[in-house]
Amino acid sequence: MPPILSIQNISKSYGPVQALKGVSFDVPEGSVYGILGPNGSGKTTLLGIMLDVLLANEGSFSWFGGSSHAEARKQIGSLLETPNFYHYLSAYNNLEISAAIKQHGLADRERVLRQVGLLERKDSKFQSFSLGMKQRLAIGAALLGSPKVLVLDEPTNGLDPAGIAEIRELIRKLNKEGLTVIIASHLLDEVEKVCTHVAILKRGNLLLNGPVNEVLLSEDQIEIAAPDMNNLRITMQSMPGIKKITPAENKFQLLCEPGIDAIKVNEYCISKGIILSHLLIKKKSLESKFMELTN
Amino acid sequence: MFHLLTTEWLKIKRYRTFWILAGLFLLLMPLWNYEIAHGFIKMGGGKNGINFLNSAYTFPEVWGNLGWWGSIFILFISILVIILTTNEYSFRTNRQNVIDGWSRLQFFHAKVLVVFALAIVATLYLFLLGMLFGWLNSGYLYGLFGHFSQVGYFFILSLDYLGFALLIAILVRRSGLAIGLFLLYSMIIENILRSIINHFADKPYGNLLMLQSSDELLPFPLMQMAGKMMGMGQEISMNIYAITAVAWCIIYYFICRLILTRNDW
Repeated sequence: MPPILSIQNISKSYGPVQALKGVSFDVPEGSVYGILGPNGSGKTTLLGIMLDVLLANEGSFSWFGGSSHAEARKQIGSLLETPNFYHYLSAYNNLEISAAIKQHGLADRERVLRQVGLLERKDSKFQSFSLGMKQRLAIGAALLGSPKVLVLDEPTNGLDPAGIAEIRELIRKLNKEGLTVIIASHLLDEVEKVCTHVAILKRGNLLLNGPVNEVLLSEDQIEIAAPDMNNLRITMQSMPGIKKITPAENKFQLLCEPGIDAIKVNEYCISKGIILSHLLIKKKSLESKFMELTN
Repeated sequence: MFHLLTTEWLKIKRYRTFWILAGLFLLLMPLWNYEIAHGFIKMGGGKNGINFLNSAYTFPEVWGNLGWWGSIFILFISILVIILTTNEYSFRTNRQNVIDGWSRLQFFHAKVLVVFALAIVATLYLFLLGMLFGWLNSGYLYGLFGHFSQVGYFFILSLDYLGFALLIAILVRRSGLAIGLFLLYSMIIENILRSIINHFADKPYGNLLMLQSSDELLPFPLMQMAGKMMGMGQEISMNIYAITAVAWCIIYYFICRLILTRNDW
């Protein structure tokens, strides 16, 4: 199956500033693909290029295995940077224009407005909306006509906590229904909660990319404690496959070689007559990984 | 193509500024010409002013006279084209239109179609007014088709002005600056350039400038009359002016196309 989006060696500079340096990756169908990076790392530039509003200096990309870009975009619901609408038109009439350009989705307007909680304000002018409402309308516009792919740039910008949770749920639900979602964000927490894949950018360089489990799994830590901590340390030092033991607040954090998991550790301790009072798998958080990579 | 135009219509039809400017054009054109035809607006002003112009509202002179005033009133519509285009930049809906699935060229062609549609409507309106004024003042339709080419000239002039407005809007992107530059160019800068060129050239080649080439198609009726009385021949024929104006329109098209396809949005 061809990837939904394939990016090859994209470079882009704004005068002397190089915003993207030879970025390549594929977005598989059905994934929630997080593009992560600190401010100014090139996330929005990358999205702008794949939506044809910015021109790459080098490299290429293809949607759906190579259909025309404009036709592909009709199947893609996008939110890029800020909500862009005609200020003098109502929410409903703004969506009419988006639907006209997409050539489908006109009958869909009530549904998407209900989905983003704007149905009762459908006849209000865009200029009277608050920041969060504008953002909701933009997400609604992206959902018009049941697209195959969603491209969302900082989708929770300006939303209140309830709104953020709603959008997260919405992304999960749509992904379950088969949509591929590409989401750029600097909010790691948000990405960690919904993404199946990540690509991490720093100053235009792609640092790493791949499925979240793979990218982060090797770094898992096991946390253990037992009534006799001294004995526990001596025992663990003798266990093969344990790379490092770090004491932390009446616990030990174990850095293990691949293949050593919580079951193995538990078995080993029991065989040595130690009953664990605490056993926890700690996934290295995306945040600590991210800080490590981007600093 | 029809799809592009109907989508543009969705943007325009609920835009109050459009209706005000277009309404002013539709209202002031006949009102102004009526005042002139009936001697309310005279040279020298006041009740003793001289009314040169009322004879020109009979067939076939009505076309040239309406056309000349039309070339001033078309500024309303030109400003409208600038506002409609720069709005897209200030709302960033130019990006949204592309993100939603138009190609950049489709976005541009939608605007080109608006320019054509406005030029056609303005020309049809001029034709209607001409019929009305001519019929009311002549009392007959005889001579209706004399000088009728001037209706066609007005279409070329409209296209030239509106196309130039579109070019400025796409170049400058900001409405205030674009309107300022457009008015400055059409009223002052081009006249300076024209005088300089005409001063040094052996023929009035300065008349072939962007907007002047179409202004020449519809000269001020009195000047034309005076020129004829003094036996002055035209140094550059109407056909050359018409071809030049159309050529300018084609040049605007390709410059805009280049700007829009080569740059970031």
